[in-house]
Amino acid sequence: MIIVANQENIIVKNVYICTPKNNINITFKHVEMNTESIVEIKNLVKKYGTKQVLHGINLDIQPGQIIGYIGPNGAGKSTTVKILCGLIDEFEGDVSVFGKDLRMNQLEIKKRIGYIPENAALYESLTPLEFMQFVGQMRGIQNDIILSKAEALMNIFEMKSNLNQRIATFSKGMRQKVMICSALLHNPELIFMDEPLSGLDANSVIMVKEMLTHLAREGKTVFYSSHLMDVVEKISDRIILIDQGSVIADGSFEDLSRLSNDENLEKLFTRLTGNTNHGEKAEAFINAFEK
Amino acid sequence: MIMIRFLLSLFRPFRWFIERTGADYNQFIHILELKLTMDNRRARGSRNKSTTPDNSIAKQSFAQIVMGFVFAMMGIIIKSEFTYFYMMHTILMFMMAMLIISEFTTILFDTSENTIIQPLPIKGSTQSLARNAHVFLYLALIAFNISVASIIIAAIKFGILSGLIFIVSILLNVLFTLFLANMLYLGIMHIVSGEQLKNVMMYFQIVIAILFMAGYQLGFNLIDKSQISNMTIGVSWYTFLIPPAIFSGLIEALSTGIFDLKHLLFIAEALIIPVVAMFITTRYLTPVFNRKLLNLEQGDRATKVKTSSGKTSLYFNIISKLFVKNNDEKAAFQLAWRMSGYERLFKQSFFPSLAYVLIMVAVQFFKRDINLSEIASSSRYLILLYSFILVSLTLSSSLMLGNNRQIDWLFKILPINSPADYFKGFIKAVFVRFFVPFYVLLSIGIVAFWGMRVIPDIIVAWLVIYMSTLLIFYMQQPIFPFSQAKASSQGGKNFVKVMGLIITAFLLGGLHYLVSKWNIYGLAALMVIYSTAIVLINKKLAYRLINWEKVDDFNTYN
Repeated sequence: MIIVANQENIIVKNVYICTPKNNINITFKHVEMNTESIVEIKNLVKKYGTKQVLHGINLDIQPGQIIGYIGPNGAGKSTTVKILCGLIDEFEGDVSVFGKDLRMNQLEIKKRIGYIPENAALYESLTPLEFMQFVGQMRGIQNDIILSKAEALMNIFEMKSNLNQRIATFSKGMRQKVMICSALLHNPELIFMDEPLSGLDANSVIMVKEMLTHLAREGKTVFYSSHLMDVVEKISDRIILIDQGSVIADGSFEDLSRLSNDENLEKLFTRLTGNTNHGEKAEAFINAFEK
Repeated sequence: MIMIRFLLSLFRPFRWFIERTGADYNQFIHILELKLTMDNRRARGSRNKSTTPDNSIAKQSFAQIVMGFVFAMMGIIIKSEFTYFYMMHTILMFMMAMLIISEFTTILFDTSENTIIQPLPIKGSTQSLARNAHVFLYLALIAFNISVASIIIAAIKFGILSGLIFIVSILLNVLFTLFLANMLYLGIMHIVSGEQLKNVMMYFQIVIAILFMAGYQLGFNLIDKSQISNMTIGVSWYTFLIPPAIFSGLIEALSTGIFDLKHLLFIAEALIIPVVAMFITTRYLTPVFNRKLLNLEQGDRATKVKTSSGKTSLYFNIISKLFVKNNDEKAAFQLAWRMSGYERLFKQSFFPSLAYVLIMVAVQFFKRDINLSEIASSSRYLILLYSFILVSLTLSSSLMLGNNRQIDWLFKILPINSPADYFKGFIKAVFVRFFVPFYVLLSIGIVAFWGMRVIPDIIVAWLVIYMSTLLIFYMQQPIFPFSQAKASSQGGKNFVKVMGLIITAFLLGGLHYLVSKWNIYGLAALMVIYSTAIVLINKKLAYRLINWEKVDDFNTYN
């Protein structure tokens, strides 16, 4: 690793080092301690027609961690998650989950992962219980276990009384809770979350954060994709920053901030993505509506 | 865009009037423009967002003009002017009523722009006027499209003056229909509210659709066409209460110059009623309507929340064991079973189609002199049974309909080896839940009439219908159920499918007839053959026809 005395330069080097051409990952000590990777991504490239969304992502994820996968809108976060969950089959590069090639072992991998999408559709006219019954049965869980688990999970979110009401009448946050519960029904080892806190109220956000920490303590791995920096910096063991389809920084929050001297992730992120003229933009914004 | 500009320019001469009602003319025009633009881009049945239609108004107009041409052709033989216009106005009102009922969510209950317009500084009266103007434009456009042909024919047959007055009377008719529609919906909304209203509307639509088909089938099949040309409609006291008669009276009076008491009454009614109706609509009905509409939007959560226990009925438990073997399929079966009970679009599409087949068959049976004993000794029940093969097509397409767009991710994320298991569960569930009970009832009726001897025939026909339902469903686009907005506008393709099915029904029915005449064990042989085919279709063909590669082609998982 190249360490340059000048702080500004470090960032520049980091950005440079991680471009796909070089394929060198910055890894930090605590990450290197684990040996077996649960997710391994090599040179992941995804194109939609001629538009390239992912420009060679390289990642190694160890079990029992909360990974914060963050980046601005349109950086390729959701695309990465969808590929890992098997929603998108067409991609270039090698991806293995649980040490197995994703392309060849989709079914087995799907059995052991949970996916909480952002704003995804649910069958509106079903009740949460009916919805979870379907998901659970499809995953081969027995009916009475589904029932007790659904009750327990919904109870945590204080939604037990809504268990038999139609989802159509729920608010955004309530739907998100149903989504979280049904994704955790089969006790997955690896959980992918795409903006899981969107629409949740303050209490539920705290609850989910607590839940994530608990899950990680139990040895589960959480891959958490978000653009909300403050949540990520508080709960993640490791933070991966991506921008325009490339990883631009990777490490624990302490590592990242030690290198850059930024007091929070938002500032660090701003500098890495090269958007430092927020002040000017804000001013332009004010000018625009004062006309 | 040209179309919209043209429609908007029609309001320019009425600027003084619009401003007199207290509305802001510029805002009014812009709201109207927004609504029309949205109408124009509304994808009717198209699933791909990429192919946003930009001219759906023009396309629909063309279809309506063609439809109007057909109606005008039926009227061309009518000699009496009064009767001709009476018929045309009746058809017009009927068509407008049909449209208002079938598309009430997009016409009268359109609240899509409420979230945009509500926070803006727009007066209630401007918004109400824009809403009414929009509905009026919509109906007037349809009315004129349907009438283009009949106006031309009227001008040729009864003179240009008649044609011109006909145009004016159409406008008056639209105003009056708009008033009636408002009254109707206010009445219904007064009785029920919220979710319940949508259910009532659904059954209302189903009944209307069935009545329309029945009326069409029976009406046009039973009437002796030679009588129409000399048909005249006499004027009694109640004629003055029938809207189409009033408008025809107006045309007749003005074009022929007869101004007796009878005609003066028609003229007075035709001019006064729509104007009064419009006044009542804008002044009294629309504000109430808007208020109710807001309640409807927000009231869903406030009113009683629907619950269901997640438990299953005894019928379900028995049936699911009979029809479904593997576990993945069973979950899909249960899902479709439950959903089909809730989904309005599904019921709205399937029930009328079932009734339609029934009516078609009934018409065939009772067309000429009914000789019950002759029918009882015939094999005509085979026609009855095999007609329901059409259900296989409508059931398959209805199953796709619903408002759960982008639900496909759910099925992709689950660890399922072959998506065929899903689709097998889906179609079996709706077939068993909705068709089988109907078929059992039908069979009881048939057995009561023709006797126990026809039971083997009933079983064979059932096997054929089940087989064809499975085949058609497995061969159609593998889209997940209840996720498509409206039946794809593949009218031509659908027609070919229907014709193909009818031919198939004839062939298989014919085979059935011949085999049953040929040997007493013939039907048993057919049962064995069809059962084997069904097993093969489910065990082998389904997996070959539906695989993830094919499913991925039709779903995006976003």
